[in-house]
Amino acid sequence: MNNNGKKILVVEDEAHLAKGLQFNLEREGYNVTLAENGQVAMDLLGEEDFDLMILDIMLPKLSGLEVARKIRNTDMRFPILMLSAKSTDEDRELGLAAGADDYLTKPFHLPELLLRVKGILRRWEWYKEPVHDQEVFQFGEMWINFSSGKAKGCSDEFYLTAKEALLMKLLVSQQGKIVTREELLEKVWGYDPQTETRTVDNFVARLRKYFEKKPQSPKHIITHREKGYEFKSDPEK
Amino acid sequence: MGRLRNLFHPIMVFIGVQVAWIVLMAVWINWYLENNLAIKEFAQRIRPDLFTAEIQWLILFEGCFLMLLILAGVYVIFVYWNKQNRLNQMQSNFVASVSHELKSPLASIQLYLETLKYQDVSTEETMDFVETMLSDTQRLSGLIDNILQSSKADPKSMAMQFQPVNLSEFIAEVVKGHKRQFEEKQCSLDLKLGVSPTLSLDKRALRMVFNNLISNALRYSPAGSSLIINLQRIGKYWEVNFQDQGIGFEKKDIKKIFRKFYRVQNKDTQNIEGAGLGLFISSEIVKNHRGRLKVSSPGRGKGSIFSVQLPVSREVEV
Repeated sequence: MNNNGKKILVVEDEAHLAKGLQFNLEREGYNVTLAENGQVAMDLLGEEDFDLMILDIMLPKLSGLEVARKIRNTDMRFPILMLSAKSTDEDRELGLAAGADDYLTKPFHLPELLLRVKGILRRWEWYKEPVHDQEVFQFGEMWINFSSGKAKGCSDEFYLTAKEALLMKLLVSQQGKIVTREELLEKVWGYDPQTETRTVDNFVARLRKYFEKKPQSPKHIITHREKGYEFKSDPEK
Repeated sequence: MGRLRNLFHPIMVFIGVQVAWIVLMAVWINWYLENNLAIKEFAQRIRPDLFTAEIQWLILFEGCFLMLLILAGVYVIFVYWNKQNRLNQMQSNFVASVSHELKSPLASIQLYLETLKYQDVSTEETMDFVETMLSDTQRLSGLIDNILQSSKADPKSMAMQFQPVNLSEFIAEVVKGHKRQFEEKQCSLDLKLGVSPTLSLDKRALRMVFNNLISNALRYSPAGSSLIINLQRIGKYWEVNFQDQGIGFEKKDIKKIFRKFYRVQNKDTQNIEGAGLGLFISSEIVKNHRGRLKVSSPGRGKGSIFSVQLPVSREVEV
């Protein structure tokens, strides 16, 4: 119960589910705020800081996907757990691509939800610890600010999602070494038998789109077949 | 990919077939005219008796009739093919939305049951959770009723069991079942039941109609709004009006909303759950009472009024 009143925003239009989630999360020691639609959630985000957002997709006014995309285009940095009755692989991918860090389908098991919330917050804590003296990590023309999540890729400046930033930070902190897919899975996604190693590959493909001039022949994020990934800040070395 | 799909759209295929058929016809006529003399000569040598002075009306008429028959056949095939396509599309939409509709109350029930299992819950909280779960099961059974009712091949042949029902008492009773939903949505209810006629009605079926209309009003209205239900006599009908302050309709949607599986598609409704069955079934049930289900709306965002009209002739002496 030592969750120190971490603040969670639950965006859910089903009143029954929202109330049940609030009850359970508060029992675990979290501080819960409810929003019944996407617009209310965006308004609340403008007023307060939150440590985590639990977001439904089918919401009146502004859908969960739109909310996630909007957040991704700002400097707000916190993880998003999507909770939805949409359960196909495409829905899942759509949710993650919109900026969610984790995706859970309804109906869900209470212990699993609580464990995932705990896991996301724990990994977020780890992410916030500095590994470098300076907050901004520079390589070539590009840079990443791990505290704000802002980055400059091959073309523009943009914001990384929490999960992308976490993955990038793990690769950067071990640059020059091969990081296995399993390690990435465990540290970035937490132990979850449902997550497949393909998930890691999908995220790496997205990072390459940002940081590689030719994503097909990467220079910075190198694949080592059947081993894992390696980050090179200077591809010449 | 999208362009390719457009190319295979039933209408495009239909137009394509017609164009091909006309072009073929034109080619044939052209060929015939060019070789007319040669053919005549050839025919005259073999069957001189074929060439008579008068026009053979019967054969001409037969030819025209056959042509028309072919055209009509192509048209009928096209119409049915189009209908089939639309039904397939509707069915897949229906499966997606129904499974979503079923999952939401199910997720809620599972959450509360697991809360009771894993958390330390007081008696008061337990009672509250049980009430919530009961309201979810009510929602589930309402949806299942709708699905079962709509899956009957011909809704007109629904078996009705008419019995004398005091309409205003019945409305008050149905409304009572939605008390919790009103509280949760912080919506107020204004019940205007000045009269209390007794009509011969199918209670179970009409309960579905009223449940659907009240649930819709709550679903499509913002929190804190109000719903007015009034009962009055208009000419030959007893009329029950459900007036909400919800998202309303545009004129073009009003005719379509009673169609099976139809759902209004716009920005306001895209994320509101629903299977597109409630109004279809409700209107069929009301028709089976020889009544009418009507809707009017001043426009999008301005609320709507659903009126169930039951003929006065159904009135029975108590």
